[in-house]
Amino acid sequence: MTFDFAIVLKFQHALLLGLWTTLKLTLICILLGCILGFLVALARTSKNAILRGPSSVYVEFFRGTPVLVQLFWIFFCLPLVLGVELSNMASGVIALTLYMGAISSETFRASLKSVGREQLDACVALGLSPWARTANVVLPQAVLRAAPTLLSNCISLFKESALVSAVGMADLMFVGQNISNNTARPIEVLTAVALIYFVIAFPLTRAVTVIEQRILKRLAV
Amino acid sequence: MSDTAPLVKIEGLHKSYGGVVKVLQGLDIEMKAGDRVVVIGPSGGGKSTLLRVLMGLEQIDRGSVGFGGKPYICANGNGKTTIDAKVRRSIGMVFQHYTLFPHLDVIGNLILAPMKVRGEKKAEAEARAMALLTRFGLAQKAKAYPAQLSGGQKQRVAIARALMLDPKLMLFDEVTSALDPELVAEVEQVILQLAQQQMPMVIVTHDMWFAKNIASRVIFCAGGVVVEDGPPEQVLGSPKEERTREFIERVFHIKH
Repeated sequence: MTFDFAIVLKFQHALLLGLWTTLKLTLICILLGCILGFLVALARTSKNAILRGPSSVYVEFFRGTPVLVQLFWIFFCLPLVLGVELSNMASGVIALTLYMGAISSETFRASLKSVGREQLDACVALGLSPWARTANVVLPQAVLRAAPTLLSNCISLFKESALVSAVGMADLMFVGQNISNNTARPIEVLTAVALIYFVIAFPLTRAVTVIEQRILKRLAV
Repeated sequence: MSDTAPLVKIEGLHKSYGGVVKVLQGLDIEMKAGDRVVVIGPSGGGKSTLLRVLMGLEQIDRGSVGFGGKPYICANGNGKTTIDAKVRRSIGMVFQHYTLFPHLDVIGNLILAPMKVRGEKKAEAEARAMALLTRFGLAQKAKAYPAQLSGGQKQRVAIARALMLDPKLMLFDEVTSALDPELVAEVEQVILQLAQQQMPMVIVTHDMWFAKNIASRVIFCAGGVVVEDGPPEQVLGSPKEERTREFIERVFHIKH
């Protein structure tokens, strides 16, 4: 058996287009998912049971089901329920945003909790208003503490995004699969696809470790 | 404020957690502006809770606290506590575990409240902060983060942070308990310095040497009530009450 990795270069344009779709989808869902996740974290930690109930159901449901099932449900069932057509991109964005919202909300919730009661006592003793307390003490510490885990969540999302190929979105995985089927060169093409994912994800996973050490050093009081 | 009116007037103070754990059971304490009160007593006797109530951090069940002749904290009888936030701002507190803001450097810790609470200009607040830090021997640490400081330095920064708001009363809650023994003196020195400037203060401490040196008055608190209240020579030296004597003997025994 001989390998011909040059074949990958022949399809580099198509692969790069696929990668662009993957990155676009991932970045949109990171942005929307983090906003959703932060709001849900606030809802889950609130004293209001009406906010707490539904947000908890949402998070637990999305954490407790496979992403592929969520994606299929949104792709095939949601249009029937809503009675509207959804493009591949739209259903991909909805599904992965909901997934990212669920996992990042847990990250935010843990970091909000980690700002101890003593910090709040100190704020009261210094006469800070509830607004100044949240904006200048709780939020900066929560975001700092959440940063490493949040970055891990983003890397997970980047990798999980390959699932959208299963509903026919032309992302990196989808393009790679097509090329490998058409050329009957799965080893070369799929290895190349794996390497592309790795080249992007690996520096980010290293960054998590570095950021974690720096932040822990700063916040260790 | 007239000269005769007490600075702090605590009347019939009751405080429990969940109505079950009764921590304070009817405290009456009057404090004059010149007083430096040290509160001693066994753990769980309500010392720290008393300070937290005075700082306005706790709800109370019954009773009231007046400050400078004005009502400050009042139990409404329906489980709610009214706390006058404006009065509260004239009281400063330092905690056992420093509670510095870890995401801000030393100077950032000092100027946050003056800027947010009093609307002071940054440059102005920074100048005052530097003056305080210099006085406490911490000028070269202005740009350091709390995690880079020793326990003693952190606690001195915490004291400076509270002083930035020009408090009329300072509360110290076991501020040297978390420190390594060799760092205790530098923090106590700073508090003694404040005492020389006639800063009214309430101190909860287990350090009897410190209590003897700083107190103008010692209160022995146990079981949520004041057991004995008097000058340090009396309460620490020759207590009248049996419970005080037992406590003092035990503490000094451990010390030796």
